[in-house]
Amino acid sequence: MDKKDLQYCQYQKMISVLDKLRLEKIKSTISEIPFVSKINRIEQGELFVSGNIEIAFEELENPLFFDFLITQEYPLKTYSSESITFFNADLIQYNHVMANGNICIHTAHSEDLENKIWIDFNALKAWIIKYYINKEKDQKYEHLVVQDSAVNGDKYSFTFTSTGKVFQEGEIGIVKLSLLHDGYHKKDHIYNFYVQYFETFPDLKKNCFWNDFYFKQPTDREGIYLFRENPPAKYNRFAHSTWAELDLPQDILTMLREFQDKCVKEDYGKIIPFFLGYKINSTEIHWQVALMEVGKFPIKGIPERNEGKKTGRWYTGIDDTPIHWGISRNASYEYFFGRGKFCDAITEAKILIIGVGAVGSMIATTLTRSGCRFIDFIDHDVKEPENVCRSEYRFSKGINNKILELVGSLYEISPFVTSHQINNDYFEKYIKSFYTDENIRAYITADLDKYDIIFDCSTDNDLMYVLNKLTLHSKLINISLTNHANELVCAFYPNIYNFVNNQFSNVLENDVSDMYEPTGCWSPTFKASYNDIALLVQMALKQINRIFSGEKAFNNFVIQENNSSFKIIEY
Amino acid sequence: MAVNRSEHLANVLETHRMNHIDNLVQKFRDKRDDIKEALEEHYTSNIYSPLNSGSFGKHTAINIKFDLDVVVPFKRNSFATIEEMYNAVYDFLYEKYADTGLAQVRKQKVSIGVIFKADKDGDQISIDVVPGREISVDSYLDVRDLNIYFNEDTWGFSKGTYMKTNIQSQIDAIKSRDDERKIIRLLKIWKHSNTESYKSFLMELFTLKAFDKSTITGNLWDKTEGVLRYIKDNVTREDFTLKDPGNPSNDLMKNLTWFDRQNLSNKMKNIIDRITENSENIKTYFPVNKDFDTTESYGQKGSSVLSIPKDDQRFG
Repeated sequence: MDKKDLQYCQYQKMISVLDKLRLEKIKSTISEIPFVSKINRIEQGELFVSGNIEIAFEELENPLFFDFLITQEYPLKTYSSESITFFNADLIQYNHVMANGNICIHTAHSEDLENKIWIDFNALKAWIIKYYINKEKDQKYEHLVVQDSAVNGDKYSFTFTSTGKVFQEGEIGIVKLSLLHDGYHKKDHIYNFYVQYFETFPDLKKNCFWNDFYFKQPTDREGIYLFRENPPAKYNRFAHSTWAELDLPQDILTMLREFQDKCVKEDYGKIIPFFLGYKINSTEIHWQVALMEVGKFPIKGIPERNEGKKTGRWYTGIDDTPIHWGISRNASYEYFFGRGKFCDAITEAKILIIGVGAVGSMIATTLTRSGCRFIDFIDHDVKEPENVCRSEYRFSKGINNKILELVGSLYEISPFVTSHQINNDYFEKYIKSFYTDENIRAYITADLDKYDIIFDCSTDNDLMYVLNKLTLHSKLINISLTNHANELVCAFYPNIYNFVNNQFSNVLENDVSDMYEPTGCWSPTFKASYNDIALLVQMALKQINRIFSGEKAFNNFVIQENNSSFKIIEY
Repeated sequence: MAVNRSEHLANVLETHRMNHIDNLVQKFRDKRDDIKEALEEHYTSNIYSPLNSGSFGKHTAINIKFDLDVVVPFKRNSFATIEEMYNAVYDFLYEKYADTGLAQVRKQKVSIGVIFKADKDGDQISIDVVPGREISVDSYLDVRDLNIYFNEDTWGFSKGTYMKTNIQSQIDAIKSRDDERKIIRLLKIWKHSNTESYKSFLMELFTLKAFDKSTITGNLWDKTEGVLRYIKDNVTREDFTLKDPGNPSNDLMKNLTWFDRQNLSNKMKNIIDRITENSENIKTYFPVNKDFDTTESYGQKGSSVLSIPKDDQRFG
């Protein structure tokens, strides 16, 4: 035995001793738990500690038996899951039990083995009381347990929204899909599609609520749909695993055959999604998607029989093969922005952003990520490589009109935002030239009043003056920064012009002696990083959201750094 | 260099004086007198002498926003109802000024607005006529109480109702109170320059009560700050009242929502805090009227030195 082997043997021995100690501790702790009425076995395997115990307590009519597995990470969690698992395959009809009988529990953190065992066994007891004894049902809908799988090495996902339309029991039709992007889902290659619309006969379209950009994309693929009242699942929880379990009606089987016959030559091997829709509550539906390969649809010809004798006619029957489930996601607006959004007074507003430099572009992306639906832009500028470091533009798009690039980015972020570019000359020529004319001013005002909120991030003092002269109903918000992004000044119409001028002329220390002077450029610009600017812009937007939600008054404000903390100074 | 706040406020008041716009004011007076004469001629013995009210009557007018109000006191038996009186005066003014193409005549909250067409200088004169009826026969000359009509839901009153008021008491309440009038004018300048929706009459009553109930002394800034602080500290008190000198049962605080009260208190706090932190902020709240400012600019940066970029440059 060489030195390395010797070291390995010693290491194994040490592990073995530690495992024994740990096993004894687990045994002794479990044996102290009063509702563990019997320990049938607890043993150390190669990778896990496993066992079988009996649970009994007063409220429980008959004892329950559970297998359990404890992994090496215990008491620490792994991949956000508990590293102890309780199993009882007889309980899968109860809530929060997985298809393999695994009781789904999520418990508190503890780094102490004994403490963690107590916590987890108490969680098991709590589950027994709540779901086994009291048979409670959760108010919140939980998606089916679906084992998605790859077909020929590829996975498929399908994203949809509600359509606002009613689907009838047994309704069948075609689903029109567009490809978003392909990518990787863990280790598998994945194609990501979104549903444009469901089409039933005769020619009735039920559109998903995407913005025009997504809705106008060409459709790349068709699928088939069947809507039913109930989910395609056992115990309303575990998605069926074979086609026969779906118990498909004859009309859909016939449709599958005709569909395949039509495309088998050109599209042999192509994956066709089969959408199975069902109600999840009184107003919402969900879709599970089974994958079918052209040429291998789960159907077969079955000879028709009359009193046991073949009639010579055939009909289409199901070929009971395993179902390959795709991934389906409901990305309706309320789910897409379910984790956080701005108040409705902002998200439902028609918004115009004037000037999409650093501040304007950050406002645009933040509004988009916060659920805004309508954002128009005006800016005449072209993005240069040096703009990228502190605004929402990308190197990959090269030299490009700012608005063109920004709108593209916003569409990549949200399928619910709609944006247009307003003619640059509108402000630079038209408004500035004619704002003194009473009649034209009325037209200008009417035009601007089409917007509920206007962010003026142009830093154009002349425009600020002119806009402040108009009688607007829109909420006009003027935002600008001092050099080094030391302060952000935010003013609300009609108290903009005097306030902003006084701030920059008299109140704030706007040191412009230290500017960034680009090589070969006559126009110096301010110094500040993305971080400097974004911090102020996000604080300002938070305050603006509070104002629009009615928590605060429309008071002008300045955000200023003060002894390493940032302060909103209201006026 | 820090701004001398009292000097600045004195200059604000100076640049907002009505005598800067004497010619325009005279045009208003002429139109007002014209309306008064027409009413007296038409209603003869049914009315007492019309009187000037509003900011002109109280000497609290500012030259950026003013209008002339005329109160027309009708005798008790001139009309069967207050509403009838209001409509009759509207009809008369409409026939005299609107039908002849001289002015636009419209019903307002408690007054009738006569908006004359712009003259050759582009000046548009508007006069508000407030009809009121004495409470009982021949009582007006003794007590000066009048019932005025509400043509719209306003100040907590609904359309079609009426309220007792006493314009003379309102004018008397402010008579010979020079300090108070200065602060009232400053608060009106704040209100108009910052587009605040609080009624001028509310600011007036706050100021009078502040002087009556707390110690307001010192220079002009000290006094202004004293009134702002009084409003800040009291407007959110549940038992705080602001009674109309013309009708003590009319408490103006009842017309403010709790949000309005809190908001007004916050605004007063913000004004005091911001001006205390940096005296330059006084120009935001109380700007001079640049049309009549003859003083040096307060060292406005970037205004005298040519530099690129200027130090009032904004970025984004």
